Amino acid sequence: MIQLLLIPAALLIALVFGLPLVRYSWLSFHADSVLTGLVAIPNHGANWLRLLHDQRFWQDTYQTARFATVSVSLELLLAIAIALLLDQRWRGRGVVRAISLLPWALPTTVMALGWRWIFNTPYGPIEQFAELIGLQPLNILSNPNITWLATVVGDVWKTTPFAALILLAGLQTIPNDLYEAFYLEGGHPRAALFQITLPLLQPYLLLSLLFRLAQAFGIFDLIQVMTGGGPAGSTESLALYAYLNAMRFLDFGYSATVMISGFLLLVLACLLVWLIFQQASHWREAIK
Amino acid sequence: MMRQRKLWITVLLLWSLAPLLWQLYTSFCTHEALLQPLAEHNQRWTLDNYRQVLTANPPFWRYLLNSVIVGIGSTSLTLLIAIPAAYSLSKVSQNVARVAKFILLGAALFPYVLLFLALLELARSFNLGNNLLALSFPYAGLSMPLAVLLLLSAFRDLPSELEEAARLEGLDLWQRLRWVLIPLIGPATASTAILVFLFSWNEYPIALTWISRADLLTLPVAIARIAGSSVYSIPYGAYAAATVLGALPLLLLVLIFQRQIVSGLTQGAIKG
Repeated sequence: MIQLLLIPAALLIALVFGLPLVRYSWLSFHADSVLTGLVAIPNHGANWLRLLHDQRFWQDTYQTARFATVSVSLELLLAIAIALLLDQRWRGRGVVRAISLLPWALPTTVMALGWRWIFNTPYGPIEQFAELIGLQPLNILSNPNITWLATVVGDVWKTTPFAALILLAGLQTIPNDLYEAFYLEGGHPRAALFQITLPLLQPYLLLSLLFRLAQAFGIFDLIQVMTGGGPAGSTESLALYAYLNAMRFLDFGYSATVMISGFLLLVLACLLVWLIFQQASHWREAIK
Repeated sequence: MMRQRKLWITVLLLWSLAPLLWQLYTSFCTHEALLQPLAEHNQRWTLDNYRQVLTANPPFWRYLLNSVIVGIGSTSLTLLIAIPAAYSLSKVSQNVARVAKFILLGAALFPYVLLFLALLELARSFNLGNNLLALSFPYAGLSMPLAVLLLLSAFRDLPSELEEAARLEGLDLWQRLRWVLIPLIGPATASTAILVFLFSWNEYPIALTWISRADLLTLPVAIARIAGSSVYSIPYGAYAAATVLGALPLLLLVLIFQRQIVSGLTQGAIKG
């Protein structure tokens, strides 16, 4: 009888997560756009064929992968440092922890607008500073080669606190005796980081890595508000491309195809990360 | 060692706060002061930006109100469904629970922005567009995995003798939940509630596609629309005032509920 209590939650999850995946798979084999009068007509894999030859899709895949790799790596490195800092005992730690959490809690669009002002040419603080020390205008948000780095900054700023908190939780599960024993045997603090802390932190690193990777792969709000995918499409992510296909070009069949392939690529990336972590622990075992 | 730590703490605080402080500074600047920050000005500070944002049509507080409505609706619906589900999962066999946990974790990791198109189709076929409370359904669904995982670990931590004793006293399932179990998982419920509220407050792609009426926009969509309305002009004073007003409620929320937020996120990590 008690199992009946599960039904509403299971139904809602199936409706919100399950149904879309089924619907996209189905839609990706149909033409459904303004041209068909928004009626789904089977088109025998034409969407997938188009995807294979769609330069914009592959450019966006490359951009999304580049964005996710760089921002997630930076986030994890910073998060480890912040977690180590917050794990020590000092006065005012609670307040600092709350403040460091703020960027994570604010709506992405709010700060995306904020970043647009900070990176503004010529009035934003960064350009003003560059001018003050005699540099040429940097044109951060209009130079296709560097704009994506500005979006990385925005993402790192926002999501590092989250990863730091998960790693902090992990640090607090490591018993202190381990360190005491290590130091008694004459171990160096830096060696403790690599021989005790990081190995024991591994499950938490994996968790925050997978979580952040998935979120960075689906990056949408930040890009849409901060750059709109520009300049010259250089910051357009897969999610934004799928959104544009559906809402601007009104091509639902192709939008669904883009989303399904984005999902498949993400699953692949997660598997890859998981395998690397497995390998890493094997190697460490072997070294011991 | 001490001095080095102080340095790093300062860096962390600066990194977290500087972009926000810059918005605060900008929001009180006159247009002229923004264009030439280093020059002398007759009038450097102003409240005009706030006046402009608050007297626009619809006024800015309207978006805040909309977001509060969506947040409360979604949080209530999520808890209403997630608490019974988590209780039920804490009673099923180990194997079933393990499979369920795996599915929930996978769903919690899912980049939900990819779901927007199918959810929009649902909204169209059930006529749920432009309805703030209707947003509670997708939001509750999207928050469900995390909510159930957090509440499940809270139910698991309760000693089973407790419920046994209540059963022997003759309390039925509903009474046991209402008077014994739910009060005991209060802290976990609070953490879950605040995380769900934050999620619904900040959610963008679904609110963007479900709501088109200007007076029903939630805060994130309203801000994005302000941003999109004038790409080439620079009313950044007004933008900044809007971001400050949009950030303020969350600032308070985080400072008041930081303990619940931290324990919610960390419990999810340790036991998830």
